[in-house]
Amino acid sequence: MTATLAPARPAADADRATFAALAARETRRFAVNPVFLFAVAMTVWVLSTDPGNVTEIDSVNWIPAVFLGGFGMMATFWLTRSMGASEPVVGVTPVTLPARTAALCVVAIVPFACGGLALLRFVQLIPVGDPAYGAFSPSARIAVLVGQIAVPSLGGPLLGVALGRWVRFPGAAFVLFLILFGWGNLVTALSISRPDSTPLVVLRLFAPFSFFTLRGNTAHLTTWRGSPWFFLGWQLALCAIAVLAALLRGAEGRARLRIVRALGVAGAVAVVMLVLAATGGFTHAVTA
Amino acid sequence: MVGPVLRAGAWPAVAGVSGVAVVVGGCGAAFPATATMLFPICFALLAAAAAFTLDEPASLVVDVTPTGPVRRTTIRALALLAPLAAGALVMLAAAMRGLALPWTGAGLALAGNVLLGFAAACVVRTRTGEPGAATGTAVVLVLMAPSLVPQVARWVRTFPAPGASGPSSDPVWWIVLAVCVLAIATSAGGRGLPRWRARVAILRRPGALQLCRARPRIEGYRPGTSLSKEAR
Repeated sequence: MTATLAPARPAADADRATFAALAARETRRFAVNPVFLFAVAMTVWVLSTDPGNVTEIDSVNWIPAVFLGGFGMMATFWLTRSMGASEPVVGVTPVTLPARTAALCVVAIVPFACGGLALLRFVQLIPVGDPAYGAFSPSARIAVLVGQIAVPSLGGPLLGVALGRWVRFPGAAFVLFLILFGWGNLVTALSISRPDSTPLVVLRLFAPFSFFTLRGNTAHLTTWRGSPWFFLGWQLALCAIAVLAALLRGAEGRARLRIVRALGVAGAVAVVMLVLAATGGFTHAVTA
Repeated sequence: MVGPVLRAGAWPAVAGVSGVAVVVGGCGAAFPATATMLFPICFALLAAAAAFTLDEPASLVVDVTPTGPVRRTTIRALALLAPLAAGALVMLAAAMRGLALPWTGAGLALAGNVLLGFAAACVVRTRTGEPGAATGTAVVLVLMAPSLVPQVARWVRTFPAPGASGPSSDPVWWIVLAVCVLAIATSAGGRGLPRWRARVAILRRPGALQLCRARPRIEGYRPGTSLSKEAR
């Protein structure tokens, strides 16, 4: 008697296939979300119009961050919460909640790609060599743009997923959007009056988006303190924290332990990056 | 009647969003340089809070009670005092800090924001029992449009900036107030039941007993009406 052992399909392959299918489904749902489509339309509209004689980049660069990042956050928040009513049914499927959350996080690739395109269009409108970028070096100018256009487009939607997993209040996304928008305005306005204050630099950079230059009502362009490269690191650490916080919901056993440890590491990296961002760059505001 | 209808409101949402608005507006009052940017955010949050006043988680039951939509909406309108009081508190704080704002225009903007949120919720309430989240988001996005899109700000202003050039916010808010009053009157007056629910047919189980031959049978029952009224 011979026994033949048929090689069983490895469980990892099955998990990967399920995850890919889930991610594709969620991405499709996100791509047709009216809030996201509106955000894309507004970004295209603003970036397609001729900005005219631009004397500073801050008059345009925050728009993709607000629409792709802020509105993207609202869209992913709704996407995440929309499955809440189906939880009794979805909850008994063989796919774990962290796996479904990870599939939701994958959709952030779509606004990130849009942010990348917006960045290219922005560089086309205002070339990197333009004096509107302030006193930064060419590489730092690229870092400023990536941190102001592309990374918020990634971080906003990830934050929306984390928010949707942890907060039950249905209006949480727009409240957080307004708080972040208000915070950005508040610290920017305070930085105008005291640009060399280190605590104010830390407060200005303690946000998912920050300005690095300002013209205000004067004829001179002021380049503020702070390192754009380390600020990029701070933003990416925030993205990692958002993903890990979202995955933590429903995680059990060793996976939960690993996520908590990773959260600690990401938190420490974020703090270090924030400190380096605030202490790096110019030692005082440069006006030219 | 007033007590139970008010008690059933989404008070945590109304109070929470109003509280956040007070914090944002308080920052605007504390740092006058940011007032013209933070006050519109504060007022938009108050509009969102107003949108939550009509949320009715038990709408399946409440909508078929004899208390009409006009009465329920009127009672729930009392809850607007919360966002209005929060806005008044912020303006009072700003006045005490010596901010030079056009106060009549700011008061009109506050009333317009809150009424816009409530009117939008009234309209959406004809379709769903809990209009707060969707309406609040939509109203916030509309109200923030001039702040978010520079092209819109050239045409419409939702907050009176002191000494600023460009369009005044007052005509906008007078028009909005008039439209809101009309929208509230129309939606509350013509609201028997949410439209989607009015189409629900209540089927009679085959073989069920017909209890009273003189009254209309359950198959003929139209949601939002009284069986005894139909019999007359």
